[in-house]
Amino acid sequence: MESLAEIFRNPAVLALIAAGLPLLTFLELTLFGKRATGTAAALSYSWLSFLVAVYVFFSVWNTGDIHYQVNWFTIGSVSFKAGMLLNNLSVLMQLLVSLIALLVHCYSAAYMKNDPNLRRYWAYLGLFCFAMMTLVIADNLLLVYFAWELVGVSSYLLIGFWTTREAAAQAAKKAFIVNRIGDIGFLTAILILYTQFHTLDLDHLFGGRHLFAGSVITGGQWITSVGQLPAVWLTVAGAGLLLGAMAKSAQFPLHIWLPDAMEGPTPVSSLIHAATMVAAGVFLLVRVFPVFTPVVLEAMAVIGGLTAFFAATCALVQYDLKRILAWSTVSQLGLMILAVGTGARAQAIFHLATHAFFKCLLFLCAGAVIHAVQHQIHQDGGDRDPQDIRNMGGLLKKMPVTGAWMILAAAALTGLPLTSGFFSKDGILIAVFAWSANGSSLGLLLPFLAFTSSLMTAFYSARLIFSVFFGEEQVSAAGVRDPEPLMRWPMIVLGLCTLYPVFLGLLPAGASWVLDVTEKAGVADHPDLYWIPYALTIANVLVIAAAWQLYVKRRAHAAPALRPAGLFLLEGWRLNAVYHSLVISPVMQLSRVTVFVDRVVLDGFVHFAAASGLVAARLSGWFDRVVIDGLVEFTATGSRSIGNFARKFQSGRIQHYLIFALGALLLCLILSYFT
Amino acid sequence: MGILSLLILLPLVVGAVMLLVPGKWASSFKYLALGTAAAQVVLSLFAYAGFNEKVAGTGVNGYQFVEQASWIRLDLGAAGRLSIDYFIGVDGISILFLVLSAIVFFVAALASWEITKNLKGYFVLFMLLDAAIFGVFTALDFFLFYLFYELMLLPVYFLIGMWGGVRREYAAIKFFLYTLFGSVFMLLVILGLYFSVQDPVTGDHTFNMLHAMDPANYTAGSLFSPGSGQLLFGIPARLLAFIVVFIAFAIKVPVVPLHTWLPDAHVEAPTPVSIILAGLLLKVGGYGIIRVAYSIFPEAALQSSWWVGLIGVVSILYGALNALAQRDLKRLIAYSSVSHMGFVLLGIASVTVEGISGAILQMISHGILSVMLFFLAGVLYTRVHDREIANFRGLSLILPRYTAFVLIAFFASLGLPGFSAFIGEAFSLIGAFKSASENALLPRWMAVCGSVGILLSAAYFLWTLQRMFFGQTRLMGGDAWRDRLTDLDLRERSALVPLAALAIVLGIFPHLAFDKLNASVLNLVNHLIP
Repeated sequence: MESLAEIFRNPAVLALIAAGLPLLTFLELTLFGKRATGTAAALSYSWLSFLVAVYVFFSVWNTGDIHYQVNWFTIGSVSFKAGMLLNNLSVLMQLLVSLIALLVHCYSAAYMKNDPNLRRYWAYLGLFCFAMMTLVIADNLLLVYFAWELVGVSSYLLIGFWTTREAAAQAAKKAFIVNRIGDIGFLTAILILYTQFHTLDLDHLFGGRHLFAGSVITGGQWITSVGQLPAVWLTVAGAGLLLGAMAKSAQFPLHIWLPDAMEGPTPVSSLIHAATMVAAGVFLLVRVFPVFTPVVLEAMAVIGGLTAFFAATCALVQYDLKRILAWSTVSQLGLMILAVGTGARAQAIFHLATHAFFKCLLFLCAGAVIHAVQHQIHQDGGDRDPQDIRNMGGLLKKMPVTGAWMILAAAALTGLPLTSGFFSKDGILIAVFAWSANGSSLGLLLPFLAFTSSLMTAFYSARLIFSVFFGEEQVSAAGVRDPEPLMRWPMIVLGLCTLYPVFLGLLPAGASWVLDVTEKAGVADHPDLYWIPYALTIANVLVIAAAWQLYVKRRAHAAPALRPAGLFLLEGWRLNAVYHSLVISPVMQLSRVTVFVDRVVLDGFVHFAAASGLVAARLSGWFDRVVIDGLVEFTATGSRSIGNFARKFQSGRIQHYLIFALGALLLCLILSYFT
Repeated sequence: MGILSLLILLPLVVGAVMLLVPGKWASSFKYLALGTAAAQVVLSLFAYAGFNEKVAGTGVNGYQFVEQASWIRLDLGAAGRLSIDYFIGVDGISILFLVLSAIVFFVAALASWEITKNLKGYFVLFMLLDAAIFGVFTALDFFLFYLFYELMLLPVYFLIGMWGGVRREYAAIKFFLYTLFGSVFMLLVILGLYFSVQDPVTGDHTFNMLHAMDPANYTAGSLFSPGSGQLLFGIPARLLAFIVVFIAFAIKVPVVPLHTWLPDAHVEAPTPVSIILAGLLLKVGGYGIIRVAYSIFPEAALQSSWWVGLIGVVSILYGALNALAQRDLKRLIAYSSVSHMGFVLLGIASVTVEGISGAILQMISHGILSVMLFFLAGVLYTRVHDREIANFRGLSLILPRYTAFVLIAFFASLGLPGFSAFIGEAFSLIGAFKSASENALLPRWMAVCGSVGILLSAAYFLWTLQRMFFGQTRLMGGDAWRDRLTDLDLRERSALVPLAALAIVLGIFPHLAFDKLNASVLNLVNHLIP
């Protein structure tokens, strides 16, 4: 029997506590009391959660897997267990999530302080952190699915946080429904894996017991120790998980919810729709990597590459500050998925980690800018859009801290040397080039997509920075200034984390401690491909110079109308319209058909049956009344008439009787005479 | 007297008392009904706690709290002796339905506050319905079962027809005829079974359902004897009997295309009757399919499972599509019921432990959640007498508590993990998918198609949320409505809180249900596929 102290020394239990603390925020603020804003509770639980996560990280990193589980429920004779599976990947993710969550909590305390529904905000944020931190440590797919959906709900609640905004409500609904498409894939994969292995335990499937590695494909059949399925279902399982990841990580063509999700408060965009939740898809793919067959991996790489390219083109022309960042997120997630597809899992997670910091920072800076500009517009009494970069310009002098840090973050996003993005993105590019060089049927398509999207990244990042912070002021910016310290210092912490040294390891160039995430220091090095970082850096500098020409010297935004191609990109390749005409309208049409079937066909039949019953009843009623009653009445009236007739003979007069008797006698005589 | 008899008799006695006391006291009947329901909750929880899940056996040994007494004995001379027993008991499946019934009646009693006219008649019928439902879930003698089954029909007919909405008579007749259509033919099957089954001890013909489940008890060469292979209208007699019984219960579930009574009945029924209808009457259908159709005619059931599964999938998708196009909140919930009960059919048709356990949990869960949904729809209707979705907008601003409960009920119903419906749906689907590998009854695409239902349910529930609850407040009835739309009061909250809590508890600790179920479900699957 473990003593209580031992249980609490178990890192797995501590990891659960780290995940559970934010849930306390949620429960406390939703169930008890109504007065306080909840800021104190939210911040303290967030701090505690972070500290516990730090402790867990240092006690688990590079020490091997820790698996702790308890019985959850038994169905028939199969028992489902629930527990935590800690390894480098999960503790890194938990640390990342709790750190960014903490910073965003602090930032929000200032950013949201005047919101009348602050309490609800903290509660939802707590629910999200709980779900996300459970997701990364869950030890079986059912539990992962629990957390996966819970993440989706908290995202729904936070996107639609300003409930009175119609657009926010629409965006929240869209996000959840699109994610549900992915969930169907995830669920299907769960069905398949459960049928094949009778367990959903990640450790049993992919770790210690090697259930998955022990399965073989022979003669078109996928055979495991307890089950057998046609081999195609292995591909379906992989495709299902990929679909799930595509929805959550906003991959083409399921990315459409993410740009709309910017309707939520900016700190939410920062935490959920840039740094953590959207990375859950990438995380899932890495966690269940052995499931993927070569076909699925190739599809994954293509989808990732396409998404990276496509989203980057859309980011080039956006005017809304947050939408630029949203498209950029889609593009960067595409790169990560591409990396996983080429087998470069460690590089994908490395980029996930660095991206979390600099993208979070970009959003927080954007929030500060929007906050300030909105305040200014409000004071001036205008109705200009505070998120439109055409209404900004020259803000660097007014908000030097925000400007400096945002430039730093944009440099990391671009992947300029000395920033974390330089190594993580180049790691992916090198991996993709190496993969392609090993002979891929796709030739140089994917390296090309990755390389060009990196260049476009440099362009839109530069365009953003130049339009907002350089050039001339577009609106009077007299009152625009850096945000208060509570918002400023989370930005500073994040800024430090976008510098490369944080991720530096003791290993040779191009390596980082984060790469230990999948296999210890086992990431292949490709010195022959070192030309890529140099080439990319030079190209990036040229692109940035071009952007300087366009947006600082000429203010190219001033162009009266975008050309059609630009509009096409602005609207995200018009995929919303495609969805509307290919999916939504047909489904609604179909639903109207079913209503018709219900109202007219089925009820019609029922009414017909009822009407036939009535007709039959009327007929039998008529038959009763006319024929049967007719007969009865005929009998009755007949006998009555006969009676009446016969009664006439009963006159009571003796003369009549004598005449009748005589007549009868005569009649008898006549009859006997003739017979 | 056993605890089960107590559960059945209590409402009957209370109903009789109500019938006898003067009508001027009728205003206090609601408290009496609530007290009765509360007592039933306590009793059923005692039964639940006392039910020993470790006792597993076949036949009558699988049942607990068994009470058996001879009821009718009639010497028919050459035709043998007519024997009908008062025979009740529960296994792991029915014990859960008992607890559900008690809770649903408790909530329905709380919802009965909205009834204002002819209270005496209403509450007497309410009590009669209560007793009948407890009877159905416990009866083990077919005659007794049928008696309770028909006894349910009568009060519901009058409760809809007299206390319902504008088209109440149409709805009541439709409900009555649909259900009667099913049960009349079932009566013939019951009689056929009676003449085919013999009590192994006395040798008499018997209505004992447990005897009917054992092929050894059939008289050789009788109509429904598994070995005799008799034909009726060119169809094997047992297959025909299965189909007849299945249809009788499928109408109750309801399945597509036998469901069109449901939306009308729900829309016209007063809130408490909607609650009982969705929470319990539909479950009688699913329970009957498991207990009667599948258990008594296993080989015919296996033969038909493909079709049963198909009906399940069609119901899931068709119900969900219909829900998507509804404009009336109550109709939307009614169609969502059709969709959610489709999972039950799919799970049962899989004849796997996962599928059947999932189906039963889905029924319990739907019992809780549909009650919550109809209660919530009723809250709105009693305030402004309108349920048209388009007539409301931005309700979250003026009714924050109400919105919170709607959020919980909607998300729970759309199968969010953490709520009971997810466990039910997921395991129904797991069972359906596994079936192809385990017993080759259902093709795998059925499970995959069924999972599309969870996407559609998200669509119609979230769309409704967005349209009615978010955005700026705008009401069809203007300020008059705004005055009448007050947030939930204590009575309403005390009905909703336990339901929400139960949905969460069962979603996170499904073993509370599965532990009771496991032995019985394993028995059942072994019985169906020996």
